[in-house]
Amino acid sequence: MLVAGIDVGAATAKVVILSDGKILSYAIIPTGFDVVSAANEVTKLALEKIDHSINELEFIISTGYARNAVPFANKTLTEILCHAKGAHFLLPGARTIIDIGGQDSKVIRINESGSVVNFTMNDKCAAGTGRFFEVMAGVLGLDISEMGPIALNSSNPCQISSTCTVFAETEVVSLRAQGRSREDLISGIHKAAALRVATLGKMVGYERQVVLTGGVAKNIGVKKFLEDEIKMETMVPEEPQIMGALGAALLAQAELGKQ
Amino acid sequence: METMKDLSTYLEERGSELSRLKKEGKKIVGYVPGGFMPEELVWAGGAIPVGLNRGGDYDAALKSVEYIPRFIDTYSRSQIGYWALGEPLYRMPDLVVVPCTDKNIETIADCLEMWTETKLFKLGVPHNKSDHAFKYYLEGLHLLKEEIEKLTGNSITEDKLKKEIDLSNRMRLLLRQISEMRKSERPPISGRDYLKLHHTSFRADRDFMVRSLESLSQELKGKEGRKGPRIFLVGSSIAEGDYKIYDLLESAGADVVIEEFSEGMRPYWQEVESDGDLIEALADGYFRRKTPLPAFFRPATKERIAFFLKLAREFRVDGIIWYSMLYRDSYDVEGIYFGRRAEKEGLRFIKIVSDYDTAERGPLRTRIEAFIESIKGQ
Repeated sequence: MLVAGIDVGAATAKVVILSDGKILSYAIIPTGFDVVSAANEVTKLALEKIDHSINELEFIISTGYARNAVPFANKTLTEILCHAKGAHFLLPGARTIIDIGGQDSKVIRINESGSVVNFTMNDKCAAGTGRFFEVMAGVLGLDISEMGPIALNSSNPCQISSTCTVFAETEVVSLRAQGRSREDLISGIHKAAALRVATLGKMVGYERQVVLTGGVAKNIGVKKFLEDEIKMETMVPEEPQIMGALGAALLAQAELGKQ
Repeated sequence: METMKDLSTYLEERGSELSRLKKEGKKIVGYVPGGFMPEELVWAGGAIPVGLNRGGDYDAALKSVEYIPRFIDTYSRSQIGYWALGEPLYRMPDLVVVPCTDKNIETIADCLEMWTETKLFKLGVPHNKSDHAFKYYLEGLHLLKEEIEKLTGNSITEDKLKKEIDLSNRMRLLLRQISEMRKSERPPISGRDYLKLHHTSFRADRDFMVRSLESLSQELKGKEGRKGPRIFLVGSSIAEGDYKIYDLLESAGADVVIEEFSEGMRPYWQEVESDGDLIEALADGYFRRKTPLPAFFRPATKERIAFFLKLAREFRVDGIIWYSMLYRDSYDVEGIYFGRRAEKEGLRFIKIVSDYDTAERGPLRTRIEAFIESIKGQ
């Protein structure tokens, strides 16, 4: 009994193939321009790894911002619900999930059964999202994966007062011209983004265990500064980027059980 | 529903009808429908009141920034924008009455005064209910009466005013009765259709509107609608054309069963007395006894929240959506207070702020869908 969860996000498309509650395969690719192609390709990629075809998938749930554009999905659900289910499945003690994706960030409170109790998410502004870090990496001529470790090497992070991606870019350029070190700048960028996300979540509150999901959860600088802001330890699943797809696959399995 | 279809057809043709009436010499009085402008005075003076309440298009909000700073709330900016875009309804009035409830709404008046030849009447709305505040508002209504009489050349007699108050009371009662039908498990009328009754009433002839509400009331008796998550939609302004929340709720299988907005709805929770001094009776109904008062009103926050919680209980809502306009700060603040109180009462609550912008649509869909998913206990 194969089921799939597909999370077509702003930056990446992810899929998880599940059988009887076990992850058989997963894949992550950049979303690119064509969301339908991304959904097709990522699914094909994950299925090829285990020598199966799309016809063998008995139920598919799509999620993510392009969830309604996946033509072969049986059902769509929001990424808020799916991240909650995915994180709760891997870490049953999770009560707060901070999901930072390519385009948005969310703080989700769940109960002991993994149901969403409350949530908050950023509006259309890119502050405190993956896109924010992409832009900053571009300004500083770095690969995005280099940013997190460098952020931890400063004892005097710059004060970046603007969390607006466009204004922060101007601020970073100006601080660079003042001769501030790369470490201080990058550390300041992470601190500003972490503060933005931590403040967003204050509307719903933080309860232990706090789990980080989404692509930005892989950034150790964000993890450190978020922990400083919320004064709680955070946990990161082995592959935080697939939490939405995993949750969708788990919900697909539950749907199949109802039939 | 036949009546809803008839109302929709009527509304499509009403613009041309108003133009014709204006050409025939009738005076048109535009106003911002924030609940403080007694239409009865306009009808009794022989003029036609037209509520200026369009919204939902980013083009209009954007156009306004040629005349005012961006940091005025989206609804007020849009009213200026529709005038700037040459929207016929906004160019038609011989007089525009703006009840100045807060600085955002007052900006509509200031801007029209500054940039156009439109004749304006700013009706002062005090922010508390003390005796001197009541006298101030009452004095405003006396001045408005004189202004309308001057405009039309007709005198507003007690008889004419009494007839109009009775007619408006009938409309308020019917709107209330129809609204209360939604307390049933399967509301006979959708949230969108109910709101459209209010929006239509802002420019319909009042006799026609009362007749339509009477026939709709009959049609709805015994009718059962869809069952699904029940939503209370509440906030600052709900403009004609701004139905995106309704679209998203309907596609998620939910619906609005009760709503409360300062602009975009006709006050319908209480009637106006139709004996004694009638101008004083209008001031009493539209100001002193008005429920609920807008967010900025002192000490309205506590009173309003208590009233909203009462509505939430009576209409057995599953969740509350607070919907306010960007830069309408007093409502933004109240949304936070109300959210905390609602959650304490075990009600699910979400706050949405809109700038009528296309970029907000994706995150908005996710928020609303996730909210409904959480209500369904997924």
